[in-house]
Amino acid sequence: TPTPSAASGTPTPPSRRLLGSAFLQEFRNWETPWAMEAMHMVALEIRLLAEKADRELVMSGKNPDKLQAAGSFLMKVFGALAVKGPKRVGALYVTCQLFKIYFRLGTVNLCRSVIRSIETARNFDFEDFPVKDKVTYMYYTGRLEVFNENFLVADQKLTYALMHCNPQSESNLRKILKFLIPVKLSIGVLPRRTLLEKYNLLEYADIVTSLRRGDLRLLKQALDRHEDQLLKCGVYLVLEKLELQVYRRLVKKIHIIQREKEPSKAHQIKLEVLVKTLQWLGITMDVDEVECIMACLIYKNLIKGYFAHKSKVLVLSKQDPFPKLNGKPV
Amino acid sequence: MSMPQTGKKLEVDSSLKPAYVGVNMPKNDVNAAQDGHGAAIQGSFPVSLCTYVERNLSRCKDDAQRSATQSIMKEIITKATADGTLHTKNWDIEPLLALPENAKGTFMTSNAKDSSPFSFSTSRRSPSRRTKSRWEPVAEEKVTNNMEVVSKEPAKSNACTTWENTRRTVGNTWNLGNFVQSRQAPPSQWNQRPSKKQRIGGNTNLTKNGNASSDSDKEQDLTKYYASSIALTNSPEEKKRREHRSKRFERSQGASSKSMSSIPHKNGAANVYTRGAISMLNNRSNGDGASLAVEDIDWDALTIKGTCQEIEKRYLRLTSAPDPATVRPEDVLEKALHMVETSEKNYLYKCDQLKSIRQDLTVQRIQNELTVKVYETHARFALQAGDLSEYNQCQSQLTRLYGEGIAGCHLEFSAYNLLCVMLHSNNKRDLLSSMASLSKEARLDETVKHALAVHSAVSSGNYVMFFKLYKKAPGLNSCLMDLYVERMRFEAIKCMSKSYRPTVPVRYVTRVLGFTRVDVLCEANVADGLEECEEWLKAHGAVLTVDENSGELQIDTKVSSASLYMPEPDNAVSHGDASLAVDDFLARAS
Repeated sequence: TPTPSAASGTPTPPSRRLLGSAFLQEFRNWETPWAMEAMHMVALEIRLLAEKADRELVMSGKNPDKLQAAGSFLMKVFGALAVKGPKRVGALYVTCQLFKIYFRLGTVNLCRSVIRSIETARNFDFEDFPVKDKVTYMYYTGRLEVFNENFLVADQKLTYALMHCNPQSESNLRKILKFLIPVKLSIGVLPRRTLLEKYNLLEYADIVTSLRRGDLRLLKQALDRHEDQLLKCGVYLVLEKLELQVYRRLVKKIHIIQREKEPSKAHQIKLEVLVKTLQWLGITMDVDEVECIMACLIYKNLIKGYFAHKSKVLVLSKQDPFPKLNGKPV
Repeated sequence: MSMPQTGKKLEVDSSLKPAYVGVNMPKNDVNAAQDGHGAAIQGSFPVSLCTYVERNLSRCKDDAQRSATQSIMKEIITKATADGTLHTKNWDIEPLLALPENAKGTFMTSNAKDSSPFSFSTSRRSPSRRTKSRWEPVAEEKVTNNMEVVSKEPAKSNACTTWENTRRTVGNTWNLGNFVQSRQAPPSQWNQRPSKKQRIGGNTNLTKNGNASSDSDKEQDLTKYYASSIALTNSPEEKKRREHRSKRFERSQGASSKSMSSIPHKNGAANVYTRGAISMLNNRSNGDGASLAVEDIDWDALTIKGTCQEIEKRYLRLTSAPDPATVRPEDVLEKALHMVETSEKNYLYKCDQLKSIRQDLTVQRIQNELTVKVYETHARFALQAGDLSEYNQCQSQLTRLYGEGIAGCHLEFSAYNLLCVMLHSNNKRDLLSSMASLSKEARLDETVKHALAVHSAVSSGNYVMFFKLYKKAPGLNSCLMDLYVERMRFEAIKCMSKSYRPTVPVRYVTRVLGFTRVDVLCEANVADGLEECEEWLKAHGAVLTVDENSGELQIDTKVSSASLYMPEPDNAVSHGDASLAVDDFLARAS
């Protein structure tokens, strides 16, 4: 079995790959998966070495293509494992290595083919795979669903990963939560502050607060402050969409206040009141815009009711004007 | 000195002096010679030579002939100086040089170095046969700027009329490839004809051994300028240069045939260039026995340096290595760009010219601020014309060039890029990376801020904001938003139908969905906007009613919400490609 060597100076991925290819050849011939661990080790090493090599290439101004090459090699390995028989349980590990490569390279569309093989091929029974691989797999596929804005599916996958993740592994839990929280927010589930503190995800703290309070200004500030971070991990767009939920919360508050003052007329909210409220929050929006936002809220089922244009009044439904999102994303 | 007009005869003396300045003889002064003091000035020409020169030049009818004659005389004088016959030759009885149209005849007698006109003309033609490039005929035809004037008129008028015709029928389709190809035939046909005539002209000249051309007036123009260009190219320097150039092609041609198979076929000029380069590499490595690294190849020697002086040049896709005589150098390309920018012609013309400029830049590996300017100009025109594919090409090149640190309007174009990604692709990852890669400086730029605001509006479905931004869009942001307007309006109307009860006035919809023209105070504009809005609403299935009290047109939202739909685009054809529609084709062909 190849032992991991501490490569100093310029690593030599080509020779490593030769070694890997040679090993793969032999591996194919072996009946039993006795060398599975070794195979996995080869796969992992190839990826890590390739990453290192690419970094060095970039520093010397050359084109970093080693990771890509590693990806193609691993696809071959995957092919060797995607067969009937006991070898197939090792396939998920290689899949995850591939995911890591593709995410690093930004070519996530290449994940599709390998996902298809795992999920539709009859060779694989998902339950057979080792737990740690399943967790990793769900984590990455969950992230892909976030990109495609399929929040319900993303929720399922990431929650699965969360549930089955080793509770000792805090960094892994944190990674999962980093993506799970925005998803949950989109479907109206708010995390407790303690959770955020425990896993050091305080960049979400203000956002959660703004949702609770209906404070649009706070949301905008929070997004601005952490913009770079949020853009980098790709959740910025998801969080941006929370804007409508913040508006909704604001309208609900106004409704509650009106209900206390004058219950009979509580279900009618004048547009000018809304405009004034927003002004007070430091947001200048003209009447047309506020009206448009109200229309959007109704359209997306965040508010039940209608808008009377002539009288410029938002008329709320007498029953349950602010339906819970109930896991349905906006 | 005034610029010569076509066919006008100029005064001989006024143009003689500046035109005929020193020919290797340091103190040559034609002026002095003319005054008769020629012999007195040291090392100068004999008087008889000066008068010989004078006589030759006086026969020239225009600048072109003059310059042709001058260069020929330079050769003669140089030769005579070299073999010492300068002062001994009796220039008085030396036969006058034939005017360029008759150059072939006298060449045989006066200049021994020259090859015969027949071999000359065949050697001119064989390059074209050898390289088989479409450029050859064009090169023969247009070597000097002056000659353009004579021949361009017929060419231009041809070009213009066919352009206009095709433009009318092509409509919104940008099949420039087809368009350009269909026009290949005429120019080459036209080119063939004169070269044949040349031969005939040469024939008669030889037999007659005369000076006067026996061609008819109609052909005289063509042969005159072809002949003069041939005369120019017939000078020994030019011949040497030509030989050297063609040798270069020979080398690469010979080698490329065996390296062709190993090189993957990329497209256009890039392939041509790399083919030449790689065959050079093969050549050298064959000779040295050692293979060269990429850095060791002398890319500069392999780069073509253009010599063409055309400011206006059509785009022809390269099929082989380009002839430097058809490629324009940088300074000419600058002028060409300026010409396109200030041109009043339509987009198709500009697009064609710009593609040609781009090609010349690529072939000469010019990657500087001029290149950036060219791509920016083309991108802007493309946006205004709605040509997204051309815009995308330019945008990707610009991103690459900006990335290499070349200055340009990178902020403006990063805004366009943002808008393009957010409005035209559904790729969130691309959008995220575009937004993440914005610099601090970029986020403060007005155009970029506008683009980000548009993103915000689209993301929350805020149609009011969208159309507000549309109205006050800086730069060409509105052109990019244009392509999303229909979708946004449809979303808006769906939203309104669901949320407004009982009705919403059409006047309001007209205002917020950007149907009103800029000047809202003008009643006519408002009325136009209303009408357009009404039509649009009806086309999308909205049900309109008239309010009893005010008489104003309203949308009945409850009913409409069930009947809204997105209509088929106007020019939809069953097989999907409007440019292949039969009627369109017939209209174009006729």
